[in-house]
Amino acid sequence: MNLPRKLLAAALLLAPAAIPASAHHSYAMFDMTKTVALDAQVTRFKWQNPHAFIEANVAANGASERWAIEMTSPNNLAQEGWKRTTLKAGDKVRIYVHPLRSGVKGGSYAGVRLADGSTLGQVE
Amino acid sequence: MTINTVRMIAAGSLLALALPVASQQLGAPSNSPLPEGVPEGSGAGHPKGQYAALDAMPDWGGIWFVTSGGSAREGTAQPKLKGEYLTRREQWVEEVRTNNGVERRTRSNCSPPGMPRIMRLGQYPYEFIFSPGRITINQEAWMQTRTIWTDGRTHEEDPDPSFMGDSIGRWEGDTLVVDTIGISDELEMDTGIAHSDQFRLTERIHLDPSNPDVLINEMRMEDPEALEEPFEVTVRYRRDRYGKLLEFQCAENDRNPVNEDGETEYL
Repeated sequence: MNLPRKLLAAALLLAPAAIPASAHHSYAMFDMTKTVALDAQVTRFKWQNPHAFIEANVAANGASERWAIEMTSPNNLAQEGWKRTTLKAGDKVRIYVHPLRSGVKGGSYAGVRLADGSTLGQVE
Repeated sequence: MTINTVRMIAAGSLLALALPVASQQLGAPSNSPLPEGVPEGSGAGHPKGQYAALDAMPDWGGIWFVTSGGSAREGTAQPKLKGEYLTRREQWVEEVRTNNGVERRTRSNCSPPGMPRIMRLGQYPYEFIFSPGRITINQEAWMQTRTIWTDGRTHEEDPDPSFMGDSIGRWEGDTLVVDTIGISDELEMDTGIAHSDQFRLTERIHLDPSNPDVLINEMRMEDPEALEEPFEVTVRYRRDRYGKLLEFQCAENDRNPVNEDGETEYL
């Protein structure tokens, strides 16, 4: 794992999160025992099966990293309050993710704090 | 006659030869045989006059999400395997362990799992459509459709192996009892668990007597070649009364292709 120090500082060690029940693919690629908080600016939000996803720029050590964050299915997300219009490019949000084990800048969505302070999913 | 004209005539002749038989028999009522066990003039092929009877069926309206009994990734009970199926399972478990928990895939993530795993998926809901002589289960995952024949027909004598298999059902009170054979032996009964072409699934599907917004599917899997004893698992689904299934066009959003090493990629 070669996350920048700033991100590591924000990394929160939590009890293993509930792994979404057998889905489109295995979750083995993600470290579901770790949650990382990303202060991000959304560049793209795709609301589509098999998985919705967020692409965002994350500031780290004065540079900008591009992260891809996979979510569960839109219908599943809708059950916790998500809509196609919840995010749009340019939104500044804090996203909580279970990072990829490979160290590549990506992860599985856990929760989000939106620009207006409201939250969805697991945010702590 | 130019060469091009000759080509066109040749192509036209081929097209005529290639036309399916059905189009050559306009007005023929059926080219398919009457299913075994269905009296002429009744069954799923003759729905008219049978719709009022549907009102006696239980209320399974809305869409349904799996809440428990999903795939064995949750670490629930495992089937007792035997013979080569046990050996293959042990090899699979060992390979996943040495590969840091990553399961190698032999097919695209855009390829559906088929029965019975597709009835045990998280994230993607289901709906049940009642119509005369048949029940249709639409599955958001991979936009799959499953048909359970309830018009009294028996299983096809030698069904083509398929993802969904050949399902016939009957009502025992408010419980739908479904018997399924013909599931392709290239599929798995659960993640990393193979089965033979003798695999048979029985499902008893009914509302939870203590909570009508919970649907219960009691599954029983049998396989004389792969299983030491029948494997039973209970799947529960939660209702979303006004929910609807969303489109699932996997190829349009395939961010998890499988590479040549069988690893799921992440784009």
